[in-house]
Amino acid sequence: MTNHYTDIGNADAVFIIGSNAAEHHPISFRWVLKAKDKGAVVIHVDPKFSRTSARSTFHVPLRSGTDIAFMGGMAKYILDNKKYFADYVLDYTNASFLVGESYSFKDGLFSGFDPAKKKYDKSQWAFEKDENGLVKRDKTLAHPRCVINVLAKHYERYNLDIVSQVTGVSQENLVKVYEAYAATGKPDKAGTILYALGWTQHTVGVQNIRLAGIVQLLLGNFGVAGGGINALRGEPNVQGSTDHALLYGYIPGYHNAPISTWKTLEEYQKANTPVTKDPKSVNWWANRPKYIVSLLKGWFGDYATAENDFGYSLLPKLDPGMDCSHLFIFDRMYQGKIKGGFIFGHNPCQSFPNSNKVRKAVDKLDWLVVGEVFHNETTDNWRRPGADPKKCKTEIFLLPSAYRAEKEGTISNSGRWHMWHYKAIEPIGQCRNMGEMFVQIMAKVRALYAKKGGALPDQVLKHELPDRFDAEEMTRKINGFFTRDVKIGEKEYKKGQLVPGFPLLQTDGSTSSLCWVYCGGYTEAEGNLAKRRDLTQTPMQAKIHLYPKFAWAWPMNRRVLYNRASVDQNGNPFNPEKAVIAWQEGKWVGDVPDGPAPPMAMEGGKYPFIMCTDGHGQLYGPGREDGPMPEHYEPAETPLTVNPFSAQMSNPCMKTVSGSEYDVLCANGDPRFPIVLTTYCMTEHWCSGSETRNGPALLEAEPQQYVEMSPQLAEEKGVKNGDVVVVESLRGRVEAVAMVTVRIRPFTIMGKTVHLVGMPFAFGWTKPKCGDAVNRLTCSVGDPNTTIPEYKACLVNLKKADKVTEL
Amino acid sequence: MPKAIFIDTTHCTACRGCQVGCKEWKNYPPVPTKQLGTHQNPPDLGPYNVKLVRFSEHLEGDTVRWYFFPDCCRHCVDPPCKGASSVEGGIIQDAATGAVIYTELTAKDDLETIRGACPYDIPRQDPKTKRLIKCDMCIDRIQANLLPMCVKSCAMGAMSFGERADILKQAEARLEAVKKEFPKASLLNKDEVAMIYLVADEPAKYYKFAVAEAPSPMTRKSLLAGVFSPLRRMAKSMQG
Amino acid sequence: MKVSRRGFIKMTGAGAACLTLSRLGIDLGPAQAYAAGLKIEGSKEVISICPFCSCGCNTLVHVKDGKIINIEGDPDYPVSGGGLCAKGAALRSLHVSEKRITKPMYRAPGSDKWVEKDWNWMLDRIAQKVKEQRDKDFVLKNADGLEVNRLESVFSLGSSQMSNEECAVAHQSLRSLGLVHIDHQARV
Repeated sequence: MTNHYTDIGNADAVFIIGSNAAEHHPISFRWVLKAKDKGAVVIHVDPKFSRTSARSTFHVPLRSGTDIAFMGGMAKYILDNKKYFADYVLDYTNASFLVGESYSFKDGLFSGFDPAKKKYDKSQWAFEKDENGLVKRDKTLAHPRCVINVLAKHYERYNLDIVSQVTGVSQENLVKVYEAYAATGKPDKAGTILYALGWTQHTVGVQNIRLAGIVQLLLGNFGVAGGGINALRGEPNVQGSTDHALLYGYIPGYHNAPISTWKTLEEYQKANTPVTKDPKSVNWWANRPKYIVSLLKGWFGDYATAENDFGYSLLPKLDPGMDCSHLFIFDRMYQGKIKGGFIFGHNPCQSFPNSNKVRKAVDKLDWLVVGEVFHNETTDNWRRPGADPKKCKTEIFLLPSAYRAEKEGTISNSGRWHMWHYKAIEPIGQCRNMGEMFVQIMAKVRALYAKKGGALPDQVLKHELPDRFDAEEMTRKINGFFTRDVKIGEKEYKKGQLVPGFPLLQTDGSTSSLCWVYCGGYTEAEGNLAKRRDLTQTPMQAKIHLYPKFAWAWPMNRRVLYNRASVDQNGNPFNPEKAVIAWQEGKWVGDVPDGPAPPMAMEGGKYPFIMCTDGHGQLYGPGREDGPMPEHYEPAETPLTVNPFSAQMSNPCMKTVSGSEYDVLCANGDPRFPIVLTTYCMTEHWCSGSETRNGPALLEAEPQQYVEMSPQLAEEKGVKNGDVVVVESLRGRVEAVAMVTVRIRPFTIMGKTVHLVGMPFAFGWTKPKCGDAVNRLTCSVGDPNTTIPEYKACLVNLKKADKVTEL
Repeated sequence: MPKAIFIDTTHCTACRGCQVGCKEWKNYPPVPTKQLGTHQNPPDLGPYNVKLVRFSEHLEGDTVRWYFFPDCCRHCVDPPCKGASSVEGGIIQDAATGAVIYTELTAKDDLETIRGACPYDIPRQDPKTKRLIKCDMCIDRIQANLLPMCVKSCAMGAMSFGERADILKQAEARLEAVKKEFPKASLLNKDEVAMIYLVADEPAKYYKFAVAEAPSPMTRKSLLAGVFSPLRRMAKSMQG
Repeated sequence: MKVSRRGFIKMTGAGAACLTLSRLGIDLGPAQAYAAGLKIEGSKEVISICPFCSCGCNTLVHVKDGKIINIEGDPDYPVSGGGLCAKGAALRSLHVSEKRITKPMYRAPGSDKWVEKDWNWMLDRIAQKVKEQRDKDFVLKNADGLEVNRLESVFSLGSSQMSNEECAVAHQSLRSLGLVHIDHQARV
């Protein structure tokens, strides 16, 4: 989230799309309702009418996978009707930047596409620069290659007629949403966009969010109270686990994982440190080398020196373009290339798409270590219905995990609040926390390497890993220390002292930090700030539900990111009633500002978008894999045979795999599978349900797999409410109880009726008679930027079951 | 001073924190259920489910209405069930809070009589102990200066607990605001119950027994005259 | 009567406090016998956080005789104001569930059952497996002859269920083995 949960209460418009907030982030809705009570319009755009819709001002159903068409229409509406916040757009976004001449867009493809590699040459989308290396701008916005004009040209095609035909949303409803939300384009109005996995889990997931970013920039909604783009993240600490990069492509703190062609630390730093010639741009990532060196010092301790590249060569390196995400892990596992591994607090045999393939892939492992609280479809995959345990050669180590109240440490909520949880009791039985599990496994492995040697022992042994897991000590290590006595400016710091904040991290090895964004969260003066429980506020903070002394938020306790965009060039809040920051008597008051620089118009003033190289919000963003501006493509499986926007049916860059017989996709408009399936989690069960199915009151409230469908489809199929049906895709079949409901409506798409059904993914076979994985239906395709799979749209058919085995 | 709870259904998201929170606080055992084509589960109140969120959906023209109704004992100001009870000390009303409480002595009472007397069809019986069961307003928590569990669980502002006079004021004010958008909005039996519901539409669209239609609540006198029997029949037919 | 947790208890810096109840100003009457006692009376109260969605609702865990007897929302948490959804409200049951895995369990190749093992045996055997696999499959250089120092045949999946501190240890541990097939729920 650029903003945070309590900030939602400040919005004048709450736009929920790609999220079912009331069901999947139930408590977030407390703040949606607070905003609504104060007069905010709450808009829900989603395939089905849910508990979110029930409490929204209005709900608009749209066909799953057509969000870009919907939002593109909104961008057009805002531009055509001049609903944007003109000063903000001109001063704070790259609207006036000139796009280079090599950029073009033709029939669904941007310039630079290589069909053989399914990749773009992104250099063709670059901005035009002058002889000093500065991006050329035309602040009159007259130049046809000004971003704003390129943008308007791109979305010219997204008229109400075509958007309506593709999305299934009536023109009347389109205008209703566009009008209501575009009203936040005024300086004193704020609109927030709440999204979740309903947006990311598409082959155009990243571009869905890009387009929300574009809309929010046009309306001047970044940086302000009640604004921003707010990912309601799914898991308890998925914000923190992302910050700490349990992801193949990153190392902690949002730095690319090294690749083979960055042979030295210097080469790595050069390739990953953006440069700007514009003195008004903060270009925060210019600081990256400090964070990298501090991370290496945190990992390798005294071993890391400038002479040995701070241990850089001991880091594993990817080949350029190598994808090691879930989709490819299971593909390689299926092919026998992956032999063993660890799964901690995760249930991919239930929660990953195309689970028939995943389950067979897991069968092929030689060994598997699993840390879990309850048995689930992954721990017990070897004895799943239809499998023969004798044929499964996997040696499995199931480690009993402590549950939340049995351990201490920090988690980071979606709003980046870094919060401490205490240990209430010792872990029951022989349970241990996962930190201990890692420490203890590594201690044994390291002892073996120390004694017997082996492959590159230094990689294993030069890391400084703790002997025992101590959460508090790790919090300190994450924050980081001075590794020797230093003097910075007038101030002296002693070896072993905590670094007061990431602005003081250094490239010379004098500081360590395991994740720079958390540096500043544990100080010598105040201790562990994640433990703070102080609810006091200044009157200015109270007006916008800001609690700066409750816990701590990264970065540097800043609660609203890009908050310098909430003030004009002289530091006066656009909306004085809901000011986030304000320049008063030569200093900033309110939230922690995005850097100490004075307002933009003053000497030393800076642009507000400090994380962007050029300092401006990117209406046009040449960095993504699949284009500088979002374009509508159909899901990998679509009921259509023609994409009315272009000849390009699906995302030209989408990731696919082909390692198994399950990696199949329907032809466009396949008559065997005419129904769109979308999948979701639910209020009463969490994600794959492996934990919550063990909660009696939860299982009682939601006991079995269901499929929600419209009365019209039910009638067509001869299905009655409560009947058991079989839902089938090209990849599998699932039994489910029919929930026939007016909350699902048939869509009229390109003049034809298209039905959509929805199914939760919380029910698995380890809880008898509750049903089994809906992911046996979904497919192995992913977004080109993130490889997040497309859970939200695939094709199925259904019929009344003549025999029931799963329920 | 009597207490009251305001349940503003226009703020309810049916997250079921109240339903589950109640059950957890009471340590009630699980009830086996099936998916029957609705999110409402268990299908009805029971001895181990004294709080149940009821779901009802309607299509009006092109507009979907999905109503949520966290059902439980209304803690009548003058409880007809108490009047119907023939067991001394079985059904008591706490003077301090107004909470209507079923003690273990209700095991000797007749379910049908007591349930029939209730205009909201609330009482149920524990099959093992024969004791009659319903919400006790978390009297244990209230006495310890804690909120009733359902109110505590509700993050949506759909439930408020407090002095009856204050709660009535709050409910009236909220009704005023809601009526601007939903002219049919009303407070259900606000003068007769401690559990005061605000609904935005006709009560029957939420739940058959959302509101008491008979001259209600019945006084002990009318109960003695046997006026409660039609209600009992109604409850029975509904139970089906 | 103002009713809130803060009304009768003040948290200590350690995040735990002991509950002692005084029933102030309430005429107990006949309900006294009925509500004979509050189950959390005399319990220790500890602040934890719900382990489900990223709302991060703070919770109060009540502990008596070393056992969790109640979990409810923390009213001081600004986001929730003390509320919890159905999942959060079920936390006590989940923590004390008989279905919890409480011992290290081992499943041998081809076996149809779990067998209890002690921690040390498990850790030794895991370490041995890891080392064998790493020594066998470690890649020093890629096809282009560039240094890669990686182990491709071992993967790690999960976990957003871990604390930040656990994540930091996990990431470092996995990279110290040369792993590249690392992923978790942020992607799914």
